[in-house]
Amino acid sequence: MANNVKDLVNERIKEIKRKDNVYTIGRVSKIQNYVLEVSGLDEACYFEKVRIGNDNIGYVAGITPNYLNIVIVKQRSTIHVGDEVVASGEEFTAQYSEASIGKIIDMFGTDKMKDMEFDNLVNLRLEEPVTPIMDRTAVCRPLHTGIAGIDLIYPIGKGQRQLIIGDKKTGKTQIALDTIASLANDNVICIYCAIGKTKKDVREIHYELARHGAMNNTVIMCALNDELTPVLSLTPYAALAVAEYYLKQAKDVVVVIDDLKRHADAYREITLMTDKAPGREAYPSDIFYTHARLLEKGCQHINGGSITILPIVETKTSDITDYISTNIISITDGQIVLNKKNFDKGQRPAIDYGLSVSRLGGAVQTKKMSHLGSNVRRQLLSYMEKRDVYELANKEEMSPEMRQLIEHGQTIIKCLNQYKFEAKNESEIISTFESLIGDK
Amino acid sequence: MDNTNTIIDPSNPALNFISQTREKEEYKQEVGKKISSASIGRIISISSIKIEILLASSELSVHDVVCAKMSDGRIIEFEIEEIKGSTANAICFEMTNGLKRGMDLYKVDGGISAPFSDKILGHMFSSFGEPIDKSNVVIDERKNVYKSHLDLSDVTINGDIMWTGIKVLDFLAPMRKGFKMGLLGGAGVGKTVLIKELIHNVYTGLQSNSIFVGVGERSREGQELFQEMKEGDLLDKMSMVFGQMGESPTSRSKAIYTGLTLAEYLRDAKRQDVLVFIDNIYRYIQGSSEIYSELGYMSVENGYPSQMLSDIANIEERINSTETGSITSFQAIFIPADDVYDEAVRAISSHLDGQVVLDRKQAEKGFYPAIDVFKTTSKLIDIEVVGRKHYDLVKETLRYLSRYNELEEIIAVLGIEELSQEDQDIFYRSRKLLQYFTQPMFVAENYTGIKGQFVKIDDVLTDVEDILSGKYDDVDESRFAYIGAYKNR
Repeated sequence: MANNVKDLVNERIKEIKRKDNVYTIGRVSKIQNYVLEVSGLDEACYFEKVRIGNDNIGYVAGITPNYLNIVIVKQRSTIHVGDEVVASGEEFTAQYSEASIGKIIDMFGTDKMKDMEFDNLVNLRLEEPVTPIMDRTAVCRPLHTGIAGIDLIYPIGKGQRQLIIGDKKTGKTQIALDTIASLANDNVICIYCAIGKTKKDVREIHYELARHGAMNNTVIMCALNDELTPVLSLTPYAALAVAEYYLKQAKDVVVVIDDLKRHADAYREITLMTDKAPGREAYPSDIFYTHARLLEKGCQHINGGSITILPIVETKTSDITDYISTNIISITDGQIVLNKKNFDKGQRPAIDYGLSVSRLGGAVQTKKMSHLGSNVRRQLLSYMEKRDVYELANKEEMSPEMRQLIEHGQTIIKCLNQYKFEAKNESEIISTFESLIGDK
Repeated sequence: MDNTNTIIDPSNPALNFISQTREKEEYKQEVGKKISSASIGRIISISSIKIEILLASSELSVHDVVCAKMSDGRIIEFEIEEIKGSTANAICFEMTNGLKRGMDLYKVDGGISAPFSDKILGHMFSSFGEPIDKSNVVIDERKNVYKSHLDLSDVTINGDIMWTGIKVLDFLAPMRKGFKMGLLGGAGVGKTVLIKELIHNVYTGLQSNSIFVGVGERSREGQELFQEMKEGDLLDKMSMVFGQMGESPTSRSKAIYTGLTLAEYLRDAKRQDVLVFIDNIYRYIQGSSEIYSELGYMSVENGYPSQMLSDIANIEERINSTETGSITSFQAIFIPADDVYDEAVRAISSHLDGQVVLDRKQAEKGFYPAIDVFKTTSKLIDIEVVGRKHYDLVKETLRYLSRYNELEEIIAVLGIEELSQEDQDIFYRSRKLLQYFTQPMFVAENYTGIKGQFVKIDDVLTDVEDILSGKYDDVDESRFAYIGAYKNR
């Protein structure tokens, strides 16, 4: 109780100081959607949090000799030219509470289902410097997704960044959800970060995860489709800031970012609105850096904790060689490519085993899995390459070796088929494939 | 002045970086960086990496380093990029968060400099020449990273031929001392694995002094390389510079200058033959594009700066051999959006003596190294250098494989049985060649589960000749996949 009064008094004193300080007050001089031009406010720092009018929040996104650029992130009332802008003296940060686990939240520490702020919020910097090379150590502990095609052939390790890429409706989000579900009892904290998803999507994801008992260790952080674009562009940094918060406690964290193509588009919108020069496909020239410094937060830390990131990218016409996709592929430690054709043919998950890659490979598998996995992968790829060339060849006239290879490949594909939320553990995968492959 | 600070709550976790950065300041004074006591100007505008300075002194020049002292003890450094009368534009080493208008700036002596002594070996440095391997090595001898130039008469062109033990490289793109070899590829087709294999085969084979420059690549790979070198006891002849992808564009565009200054130390002062591995030089152009775009320069196609050609020329012309020593370089080049005609890629590859081009289609089929045989070339494929046998075999191989590509299309419609006997021979032998050009690599044992192989060029020539002449027509093609020399299979 006494504390409460003290807090109130302190709050009041701060407010008075703020009001008296003429240098930290400015006036809105131009409004362009969510970007403001503000005069005055001489003492504001770059990326400082500011209050516009009574209840709107923004941050300083540019300082010029005559005015400031302010980007609005929280708008509760209409902003007019001449409105008062007050600097807060603090860097713009995300807010988070440990009570968020199991909930749907946003970057300001709001429980989205109740539309209420959590208690005990902590401020988390959005742009901590990346973990230095010497604070990292080898990524070598497996992260079980429960999907045979991934755990066996293109495995994911704790601290790895593995992209999930494919067309609309090929099961990208499902792979992430399967992974979160299979980690339900693994002492891993999962953060599902939805960017520009519809409200319905987010409710469905929440429902699916809760139904499979996976919300006990999961936070859904979302920037909904109809929120301000700057929130869409900052939310993944907030999700990673939360991940780093847990990393400091040496915990294992998995972050799903769904999806980065939408994020790139949101970022492009802001940069074009603030008159930055457009580059390839009108994205600004720092679009690579925007994603690189986000995904570089994924690591295996020397303190034992790790951040695994599963970014998702949506493609058009199964083309993974467009600008944003290749950028992100060149950042991540591998990619799981989902193919529309495979999906239509009924293959589940619709993984394209030719184009998928894991740059860590066997390093993040147990010895047995690694040995088995590299054999399955070699046989599978060799089958797929031959299938393409010999599609029209007469099966009867093939060498017996070749015929056997083709039939064998078909069996492997069949065994990799798996419906959603049907996680297989390591021993199940090994027993299925060991008998199939033999010890070659 | 500090009005805003009165309302900062010291328990705010957003401020707990103060203690770390204080240490950095003390460290700076330790290595003898001198910061002027008088202010040279004030900040008048700020964007994400650029600041504009109203100058109070006229003694500044481009590439000078200035710094701002933050109220929390941090020091933020900038490099001057252009001076326009009484104002100057500078770019930030890290991030501009927390800076404000009216802050005083101070000059840091020496500009960006790299250590210039024997102590560089075995250590890892940042783009700005500071040790980042927690070794706390103190190196007083330093050299500005821009101050180097070679005259036409300094450059030498001859060198001994050098074998890498990678079949397809030695066969199609052999190299020699003082060579510039480019490794081009889109995202995720195996550039980094190939460069690591080259480090494994060439560096450990020759035991030459080496510099590894990591530009805009993954920090994880930097950690792995450092760890592997350390565990293999190979660090004593190697020095590394990293400006990785999570760092500012300034860091990414300066790493190469620092790396080359280290290489020049070994070449000029130590009179050594030096190997330089750069992963990845494209990121240098990418980083400078970001800077030029912030500075408001007009860009050409795809957002690249118009001065890209001269920038890359300045870098590449420093990578040359002289009378005192040679620099052999391996440069990985990222191909954005799989666009081989990208302006930046072309600008870099015009400087190369040889190139290995990696192809997504090959990678998709599981053929590693995923080489595009038609684009992989070297200046040394010349009868006078490699001899008639090697030359003819390359020519014949390319003839077979280009016919094979045509046949693949025909087969897709007609089937194999419809081909003439000669075409059928070409078809099956070409497939064997393609399988034979795969290779188990030492650094890829994790992916393949097969032990790496170093293959001698004579064995490669014999095997290719035998496949082409039909000696192995009865052997199934799958027996050629992932082997070393055929006789050791």
